[in-house]
Amino acid sequence: MTFYNRVFLVAACTILCLRTGAQDLDSLMNLNAFTAESDLQKILNQRVAVSSKNGLTTRETPGIVSVISSEEIRNSGARDLGDLLRLVPGFDVLQDLQFVTGIGLRGSWANEGKVLVMLDGHPMNELLYQTVALGNRFPIDAISRIEIIRGPGSATYGGSAEYGVINIVTQAAESLNGVAVYATGGFHAQATGRTNAGVMVGQKGQDLSWDFSVFAGKGIVSDGKYQDLFQNGEVQDLSKVTSSDPTNINAGIRYKGLSFRGMYDRYETSDPITSVSNKGFYADLHYDWQVNKKLTIVPQIKYYNQLPWSYGDRETGETQFKVRATRFLSQVETRYAISRKASVTAGAIYFQDQGKDLLNGDLFNGEQSLRLSNFAFYGEGLFKHRLANATVGFRYEKNNRYGAAFVPRIAVTKKIENLHFKILYSQAFRAPSIQNINIALNGSVKPEKSDVFEFEVGYQFTPQMLFAVNAFVITTRDVLIYGSEGEGESFNEWYENYARSGSKGFEAIYNVRGKWWYGTVTYSYSTAGKNTVTTYEVPGQSQYVGFAKNKVTLNTNFQLLKQLSFNPSLVYASRRFAYQSIDENGEPVIGEMQPYLLVNAFLHYTNVLPGLSVGAGAYDIANQRPGIPEAYNGGYAPIPGRSREYVVKLSYQLDFKK
Amino acid sequence: MRPLVFIFLIIALVVNSSRSIAQTTNYQVYALFVVNIAKYSEFPQLQGELEIASYGKSKAYDELLKQNGKNVNGHTLKVTQSDDISVLQKASVIYIADNKSNTLDEVLKATEGRPVMIICEREGLFRKGAGLSFVVTDNNTLRFDVNNAELEKRQIKISKNLTALANTIL
Repeated sequence: MTFYNRVFLVAACTILCLRTGAQDLDSLMNLNAFTAESDLQKILNQRVAVSSKNGLTTRETPGIVSVISSEEIRNSGARDLGDLLRLVPGFDVLQDLQFVTGIGLRGSWANEGKVLVMLDGHPMNELLYQTVALGNRFPIDAISRIEIIRGPGSATYGGSAEYGVINIVTQAAESLNGVAVYATGGFHAQATGRTNAGVMVGQKGQDLSWDFSVFAGKGIVSDGKYQDLFQNGEVQDLSKVTSSDPTNINAGIRYKGLSFRGMYDRYETSDPITSVSNKGFYADLHYDWQVNKKLTIVPQIKYYNQLPWSYGDRETGETQFKVRATRFLSQVETRYAISRKASVTAGAIYFQDQGKDLLNGDLFNGEQSLRLSNFAFYGEGLFKHRLANATVGFRYEKNNRYGAAFVPRIAVTKKIENLHFKILYSQAFRAPSIQNINIALNGSVKPEKSDVFEFEVGYQFTPQMLFAVNAFVITTRDVLIYGSEGEGESFNEWYENYARSGSKGFEAIYNVRGKWWYGTVTYSYSTAGKNTVTTYEVPGQSQYVGFAKNKVTLNTNFQLLKQLSFNPSLVYASRRFAYQSIDENGEPVIGEMQPYLLVNAFLHYTNVLPGLSVGAGAYDIANQRPGIPEAYNGGYAPIPGRSREYVVKLSYQLDFKK
Repeated sequence: MRPLVFIFLIIALVVNSSRSIAQTTNYQVYALFVVNIAKYSEFPQLQGELEIASYGKSKAYDELLKQNGKNVNGHTLKVTQSDDISVLQKASVIYIADNKSNTLDEVLKATEGRPVMIICEREGLFRKGAGLSFVVTDNNTLRFDVNNAELEKRQIKISKNLTALANTIL
């Protein structure tokens, strides 16, 4: 071997050895500091944006949260949002006026300005009263994910999120890169419960993304027989005299940091006498300006134009209430990552609400319109430490009519190996809405305010199993309550602040997920707190009108074949009390409603043909027909529960080539 | 249903469940890093065994023990553990377990001027005199921070390939 050959061999060996060494070290680059994630852990370790601007995982995020995945929604065969919410600890569906149903949370009525519901970022709480009508409304089969805070969200979301937040994200807006169509049919023995269908199309690119979706349907509120509370009319067959008809058109486009989303939503419903319509147009334009790696500034403008709670005679179509409500909002938010362990978010908002009477032109104390101006500042800081994560936030909001509200929040959370804990304290508020202010008793109302303490502890016993329990105490002061008296010409209505209400209780979740099955068992217990709101009270009981103290749910999935799953679910609620009849003086009387057990099952077959999925099942198999009571003394008897409903679902998705 | 009945039911389910370990810190990866850091470093006057000592109790020690007796750069790897720093005088690498992090100053004092690489399990201690300390990134991958000045004081050289993997270098 020549000298040069030797040199070459040594050099080659050296390079090879170095290369081998480098590869050896390269393999260390992507090693996970934690053991492999199970299917359950993959879900738990997803970052949740709803409860913090900083996106921590479900076990560390500063809120008591539930996340419902598209897989769970599809498998469950849920007919509407109410079916899904009933499976979430603390949630219930109750009746407002005119057969409009709304959300109850942790034992308290939460329909007006207390739970913010967002659909692809647009708040679905209407501007006049801040309510969200449920029922056969949202495009349940188009949903990609629902993130729920089962606690206050005012410091982040403002005056419509006093008790909770529901963030619905559709598949088209988030991930769809193709075309999808879906349809649902619901059939009772003697009536068609619902027929809904939708189509969505979307394309996702690095710079340019867009989506467009349409959803429409027809449905009924119930197929039961209804006798009005005061027994003025005849018994009505609700399948013939009620409706629950949704329409939603949703479109979005994003080019680099600039995003626009517009939405039209219409929901028509009715009781035997009155039809109620909620229409709204929503627009949102924002720009994510990434100034540098650490700093992002987001200017945003929003415009909403609504016709909320337009009501009139169901038979003649004569409109009795029609008000246009608009909001123009401008906002700037700044997000700054100080370091890997500390970040802050701060923002300023100005918005103007206007109500305009489109009928007689004198609804607002003789004027045609009422205008409200608001500005708000908010901030949130996240500080991560090896012992705990601390989140500190606040919101200050000032309105030209009702004054100011300041709400701080503080949260300490941490996951340490298998254990996690959360200690949360928040103040929250409900901002008086246009109508709250317009018909305020003696001309003024104050913002309703809550103090909420929450504590959660969870333990992962195995990679497939998590048990978490939380306790809460909610104290609400200056409770905004609707009141009315008289009829016809002498009818008078108002809003006033009551001194105090609230609830306390605990919720437990046991979550288990294997290769071929998953299951979630939940238990919720709530009891009334110190209360001065007479319309909520049940004499001699420690629970509010319409609410069950105890709720147990079971949601399971058994993968029978690779493509075929069987999904039984149960909801048990203990006895409730509601206004169901009248006494000899014609005054509404509270009566007991028996506990109920809803048994549901759904068979889901995916990819029957490529992209085509079918499902069939039944809701309320035991035909218990639990009624939906009013959450207060509002003059309505409980809506008779729907009978067993057979559900058929069909969906087809064609993905674009990447 | 009484609330306590439900809790009892859940506890019963949990107690009867299998006892496998949930997603936890993967100390096998920590041990792998420690061995590779030692492998791609040069210790002056090292003869015979290359001793890696765990100061304090860490599950990383159990994983390091599995490497005991292996050959690293011509040296036999010896893995030891103690809660007493005075018995770890012969170690080339001292791995400070999380529960001993508060004693870093004592370890630094006890090993001052000697070619001992100090690796800390707890994040951030490279800024307080350790040669290296581990860090878990936002995407949960394990990396390490290096205090090169401190290593140079102790005449320990780490390879450029190893330095290239560091999260932060002082």
